[in-house]
Amino acid sequence: MKVIVGISDMKVSNNIKETLITYSLGSCIGVVIWDPVVKVGGLLHYMLPDSRLDQARAQKKPFMFADTGIPALFKECYSLGAVKGRLIVKVVGGSQILDPTGLFSIGKRNYLILSRLFNKNHITIAAEDIGGSVNRTVSLEIGTGRVHLKVSGRGEFEL
Amino acid sequence: MNRVDEILALIRHVPPFPKVAERVMQLLKDPDVTASQLAEVIQYDQAITANVLKICNAAYFGISRKVNSLDEGLVVIGHDILKDIIIASSSARFFQGKVGAGYGLEQGDMWRHSVATGIMAKLLVRHVQDVDQGSAFTAALLHDIGKRFLSSFVADDFEKIVEKVNRENCTFVEAEQEILGINHAALGGMILEKWEFDQPLIDAVREHHNAAALERAKLTALVALSNSLVISIGIGVGDDGLASELRGDGLKQFGITMDMLQICMADLLTELERANELLNI
Repeated sequence: MKVIVGISDMKVSNNIKETLITYSLGSCIGVVIWDPVVKVGGLLHYMLPDSRLDQARAQKKPFMFADTGIPALFKECYSLGAVKGRLIVKVVGGSQILDPTGLFSIGKRNYLILSRLFNKNHITIAAEDIGGSVNRTVSLEIGTGRVHLKVSGRGEFEL
Repeated sequence: MNRVDEILALIRHVPPFPKVAERVMQLLKDPDVTASQLAEVIQYDQAITANVLKICNAAYFGISRKVNSLDEGLVVIGHDILKDIIIASSSARFFQGKVGAGYGLEQGDMWRHSVATGIMAKLLVRHVQDVDQGSAFTAALLHDIGKRFLSSFVADDFEKIVEKVNRENCTFVEAEQEILGINHAALGGMILEKWEFDQPLIDAVREHHNAAALERAKLTALVALSNSLVISIGIGVGDDGLASELRGDGLKQFGITMDMLQICMADLLTELERANELLNI
């Protein structure tokens, strides 16, 4: 059964029949985490790097921002029995339009803040597909932990 | 007939933009026009009439009482929103069905992208002086109309176009231009010309993929910026992905910062939740 994760949205699950999927990641980032022992996983689709932009909004929509969404994703999975040391973490997205002046860089900043958060918390990324000027769709099968990725111009493959 | 001629011949067969829309737009130029004068014209287009009533009664415009007649609806919603509804209901017919399949778009994607770009343009008007919201919404809503007609040609040469984009790291529009001999923005401009839209709207559609669009006319800048942001968020984006170019240094002249753009992106999601009726036209 497909569970769709929207933009600025997150879903976690321990139902092995479910596949979490998010469509059309541009400069947004999709974070996929999965614990193979308890078969608990989650998918976060955040749009912006830093909740200091608008803290009132971040309270209402924590999954919009990297710094509020990522901790929420891990906490929700812990509450379903996932354990930090066992989590397999995959990251996709962070594209941007072509801009020789480098100002349209939300994709890059979205990834930068994630890297910082992960470094600080000693989380390693098992696989990633980041950057470029492509559009990505990513899904996670809760039962197997398989992550499928579809990238514009490159087709579909397992990450 | 070579392929460019074949594509251009298509334009001759593009159905006209609904006449009712044109007449209402004319009437709306007079600030003293009455609701009954407008109703008189609108009532002959069933789709527009139904949409005006539906949207008047939808949460998007925050009207609490039930609207039953066109007269009453026009009084309640006011001229600006009426313009948006008429443009949206007149445009929707061109975006229905499996249009945009050549670009890898699913049914409904192109309309969702168009409405989102229209709403984004309205949000950005707050940062760009002297552009009227109605023109911003209209030009942004119609910016990809060329895709509707170029889609099947893109499908024929899809491999070549994608290969060029990947190999040369060029934009999708550049690849369209080189391989098909025309691009969807130029084609869109021609269609708006045929529909007799005002020149600034034609220019904005034609130049929405110009990398220097932010240095061009304000409406052009606004539409290009709206499109770039909506593509970045990933709303209704196909196989062309983010392979589009816009020089960001042009933002300076408007005093627009990245923080302002991020706020607009956040606002767009809220607006889209409320714009369901517009999406379901």
